[in-house]
Amino acid sequence: MVDNAWLIPLFPLASFFLLLLFGKRFGSRSAEVGSLFTFVSFICAAVVFTKSLHESSYKQTFNWLTVGDAQITVGFELNPLNVLMLVLVSFISFLVHMYSKGYMNGEKRISIFYAYLGLFTFAMLALVMSPNLLQLYIFWELVGLGSFLLIGFYFHKQEAKRAAKKAFIMTRIGDMGLLIGMILLFWQTRSFEYSVIFQAVEAGDISQSLLTFIAIMIFVGAVGKSGQFPLHTWLPDAMEGPTPVSALIHAATMVAAGVYLVAATYPLFQASEVALLVVAVTGGLTALFAASIAVVQTDVKRVLAYSTMSQLGFMFLALGTAGYVAAVFHLVTHAFFKALLFLAAGSVIHAVHTQNIEKMGGLWKKLRWTGPLFLIGTLAISGVPLLSGFFSKEEILLSVWDNGNYFLFTLALLTSLLTAFYMFRLFFSIFGGEEKTPIHAVKESPMIMWLPMIILAVFSIGIGYVQTPWFGTFLGDWLTNENSHHEFSLWLMLIATIVSGIGIGIAYILHRKSSLLTEGESSAYRVVANKYYIDELYERTMIVSTKAVSRSLVYIERYVIDGFLLVVIRITRMFAKKATKLQSGQVQQYGAIAFLSLAVLVVVYLVAGGYLR
Amino acid sequence: MNDYLLPLLVFSPVIGMIMIWLMPKTEEKTLKQFGWIGTLMPLLISLFLYQQWLTGVSLSSYQIKWNWIQFGNLAMYDDTLYTIDFELSLDGFSLVFILLTTVLSMLAALASFYIKTEWKGYFLLFLLLEIGMLGVFMADNLLLFFLFFEVTFVSLFFLIGRWGYVNKEKAAYHFLVYNGIGSVLLLFVIATLFVRVGTTNIDALTHILNVGDVALLAPISPFLTDMLCILLFIAFAIKLPVFPFHSWMVRVHREAAPPVVMLHAGVLLKIGAYGMIRFGLGIFPEQVEKLALLFMIVGVISFLYGAFLALVQTDLKLVWAYSSVSHMGIVFFGFGTLNDAGLQGAVFQAVSHGAIAALLFFLIALLYERTGTTELNELGGLAEHLPIFSGVLLTAGLAALGLPGMSGFISEFMAFLGLFKEQMLLAIIAVIGLILTAAYTLRAVLKITFGKKTYSMTWRDVQGIEYVPIAILFMVIVAIGVYPMWLGQLVQEDITTWLLRIGG
Amino acid sequence: MTSVPLSAYLVLALILFCIGLYGALTKRNTVIVLISIELMLNAVNINLVAFSKFGMTPAITGQVFSLFTMTIAAAEAAVGLAILMALYRNRKTVHIDEMNTMKH
Repeated sequence: MVDNAWLIPLFPLASFFLLLLFGKRFGSRSAEVGSLFTFVSFICAAVVFTKSLHESSYKQTFNWLTVGDAQITVGFELNPLNVLMLVLVSFISFLVHMYSKGYMNGEKRISIFYAYLGLFTFAMLALVMSPNLLQLYIFWELVGLGSFLLIGFYFHKQEAKRAAKKAFIMTRIGDMGLLIGMILLFWQTRSFEYSVIFQAVEAGDISQSLLTFIAIMIFVGAVGKSGQFPLHTWLPDAMEGPTPVSALIHAATMVAAGVYLVAATYPLFQASEVALLVVAVTGGLTALFAASIAVVQTDVKRVLAYSTMSQLGFMFLALGTAGYVAAVFHLVTHAFFKALLFLAAGSVIHAVHTQNIEKMGGLWKKLRWTGPLFLIGTLAISGVPLLSGFFSKEEILLSVWDNGNYFLFTLALLTSLLTAFYMFRLFFSIFGGEEKTPIHAVKESPMIMWLPMIILAVFSIGIGYVQTPWFGTFLGDWLTNENSHHEFSLWLMLIATIVSGIGIGIAYILHRKSSLLTEGESSAYRVVANKYYIDELYERTMIVSTKAVSRSLVYIERYVIDGFLLVVIRITRMFAKKATKLQSGQVQQYGAIAFLSLAVLVVVYLVAGGYLR
Repeated sequence: MNDYLLPLLVFSPVIGMIMIWLMPKTEEKTLKQFGWIGTLMPLLISLFLYQQWLTGVSLSSYQIKWNWIQFGNLAMYDDTLYTIDFELSLDGFSLVFILLTTVLSMLAALASFYIKTEWKGYFLLFLLLEIGMLGVFMADNLLLFFLFFEVTFVSLFFLIGRWGYVNKEKAAYHFLVYNGIGSVLLLFVIATLFVRVGTTNIDALTHILNVGDVALLAPISPFLTDMLCILLFIAFAIKLPVFPFHSWMVRVHREAAPPVVMLHAGVLLKIGAYGMIRFGLGIFPEQVEKLALLFMIVGVISFLYGAFLALVQTDLKLVWAYSSVSHMGIVFFGFGTLNDAGLQGAVFQAVSHGAIAALLFFLIALLYERTGTTELNELGGLAEHLPIFSGVLLTAGLAALGLPGMSGFISEFMAFLGLFKEQMLLAIIAVIGLILTAAYTLRAVLKITFGKKTYSMTWRDVQGIEYVPIAILFMVIVAIGVYPMWLGQLVQEDITTWLLRIGG
Repeated sequence: MTSVPLSAYLVLALILFCIGLYGALTKRNTVIVLISIELMLNAVNINLVAFSKFGMTPAITGQVFSLFTMTIAAAEAAVGLAILMALYRNRKTVHIDEMNTMKH
């Protein structure tokens, strides 16, 4: 089974082609087709997962291209991190496939939707199996394509079009960082293989400054994909896509690819302290920055999007402070509870047909399933004890504390507080309070939608126990292949709990005073509500300057290039006009000129003694 | 059989020409079918050659050499001196371009079904153009190369000027003047070499000029060699074209009929790349090495310049035209790196751009056929009515912007790999172009397919025979993108030989 | 008998040629110009005959060629004079600088 693991991504690919070519014939049954293929690939992944719990990593490659004396290979690799991602991605993808059958019910282009989901799942699964950077880059771009297609699924909407384009270009800016880092590594080590690169790094074959540069460039790729500051602006806009897509791509899997990338190339970062610091600071700042924006958003999906950015920032913070296991752990738990939250939010949107939380309220009684499920997700992300988010967040806090950077630690705590606050603000304003504007009957979503949510909820509660101070650190042991000693720090847990409690408390008090959603008048509020004007800043600097360059080049094209041509034409014409005057009709004059020219040529020949050498 | 296969390949379109010539010029349908059938024969022969190569037959066994022209009576010194033979030969590198030519000619002939007038003249010139292109890639001496080069030049001039959009005549004259200058430079170089060295055979020239064990009748000073090399490169840079010689190509792409542009962008621009690599690198390796930095800089400028300009065009044809300028920049700097990765990237990019540009301009033909316009501002939301067309356009756009899994990526990647090795800083600047490529492609494609519909009519979607070019070109694009080895193996050997000449 | 050297023939031919050239380029009367051209042709004839006798490989070819030249010269003179007559009938002049209508 393990040596046939390359089949896992091919099932969704088959589903993609099948649905793309024969989608019309399947009609609404496309949902079943897509789900079936994803399910098969999940089962395979699960089998591989159980097998590899005991086996060491497995790798298989074959030649793809020859560059001079270097062989570029493709293949697949199964190490603990890869297998973990494999099973996580296929599982959540399958659940989202299922959920979408209910959510996208009645959509005309449902076969296309499922085809795109298949394409994305294929690329993501292949991405996490890549044994080398080039292959990773290939699928890195392909998941971007899947994301782009799904964001632009409602192609007739101007916003969707703009968001899709923005997502593609912003992430491509990041990708270029990865490309640069990857190529530089290639010329240092003559290989894209992780193993060869890591060996070279360990042996110290690469100079420290170059290594730092390379690591930072690779991190730029991660920043672009994971929506970290300063390349984050596409992620909130990406919420224009259908909600299940947001759950799968822009919460659980693709955006986490950045974290995966840094984790997969971790030895590179470990070799450079500066790079680690950059990762940590970027992560920490994004965490706080995004959380602060989430506090004032009124669109349920955007709150969750900023929350995702903030949580991914947390993971980078962990990676930057040597908390490799903590980051991966949080990646896993976050995938479950954030997917749950998005799906629950989708269920709410499905029921009330709006995304604006100002128009919601009092839905607790109406949505019997969605309400409690959303609450579980909210509790998990807020870090309430005994749920999964609590353990992973505690782990991150611990690694930051151990690192000894108190500035970052403060950032992390503040973010925790804000997280708890904005999540409960969201929860209370959707489910608490009075019912608003009952435009039409609010109905609970069908079973096909709440069943996946229940599964996710179970995992959101329970997945944390794979890595706890009390029952053992299975995940860490497995990932790092050694028995990691885990310190027990009760005080940190207490602080984390208290901080979350304060956040929830504030949310509750404000909710009671029903001033959760009141808009502030202060300039600080306006700055945050406008997302710190980052979009506007980019608009005014990058886009405007690019356009300016283009425009000025248009003038160069018109006046210099074509102008030069025009000048040449004019000169030729002028010369021709003058030259025609020579044709006077006087035969004797012609003869004289011809004779004189001959004479001159003969003299030149005599003087030069031959022709041009 | 081996002795006649190459001449047969070159002149096989003549059969189609005779068939067309015998038809009255009013028989529209038959003429179009004959035109298309005429391109099948070279296609089959070239596929046969490829199949032979796969089975391990040496391509050099097809080489032919017939006595042709002899100047003066110097047989007493050396019977190869001042003779020009009719010699054709084949290697992996030229086979790649021959396959590109035959496949694209067949597809362009299909796309030519949209030609509205004077089918007879059109298809006669079209097949003549194919003869020229095939000859260019097979000619084994410079004079023969030049003759075939001029055949493409003349037939293309009429194809552009006769069957195009509004300003076609003007575009044709631009083409004539620029390429005329290029031809003059080329002829000057060829004539000088012939007079000084006494042969135009490429292998012989390479040997005599670089090994230097033969005393020349009239020796060439280093200065003159440098000048010849520069002139040769200017000639091919005009053909390629790179900044600042590109303006004729933009006009041609805007004004010529789409099938002609398919061939022009797909094959004829590549003659520039082919000539640079085969003749430039072959005959003047030392000089090329001296100029390498210049090539890289000009290539990067071209790449960025085309990308920036494509960003603000309002006509889809112009977007693709500037994108061609930009992509040819990649070929140029890939060539300039003079290392394995870069050269391979340049060849890959030449082939890949051939397929992608042909596809893009085929889609222009489809678009214009339906909507009567290619102005971005007049189009929008086509995905609603023409989902398949939009999907294909989007995919082709993605191929053009270098999405992995398609040919554009691997060629850009290799070229950049090479550039990073030689000039890291320049490469980092050039990377901006990759972002711009994404920006302008998506801008144009999404403007047409996404967003609000600007107006609605009952256009039909892609149908029937229109699928054939789309499917074949996608197959080529994806085949190179997914498994580049098959193309790499064809050219690897030749690249190694060229590099030995420089480094050795 | 002291033979006349080759250079003497050549100098004579040169002088004749120069006179012819001078006349062809400067005289205004077309008839004179035609006569001057005949003079130049004859200079060439002298050269041909001289080389046929004194050349590196003496042969009869030179003399044959001079006969050819004479024939051609006769034909040329006939055609030239005919054109001249036609012109004179039209323009009432034989001045060469008035025959300048063949310009752009």
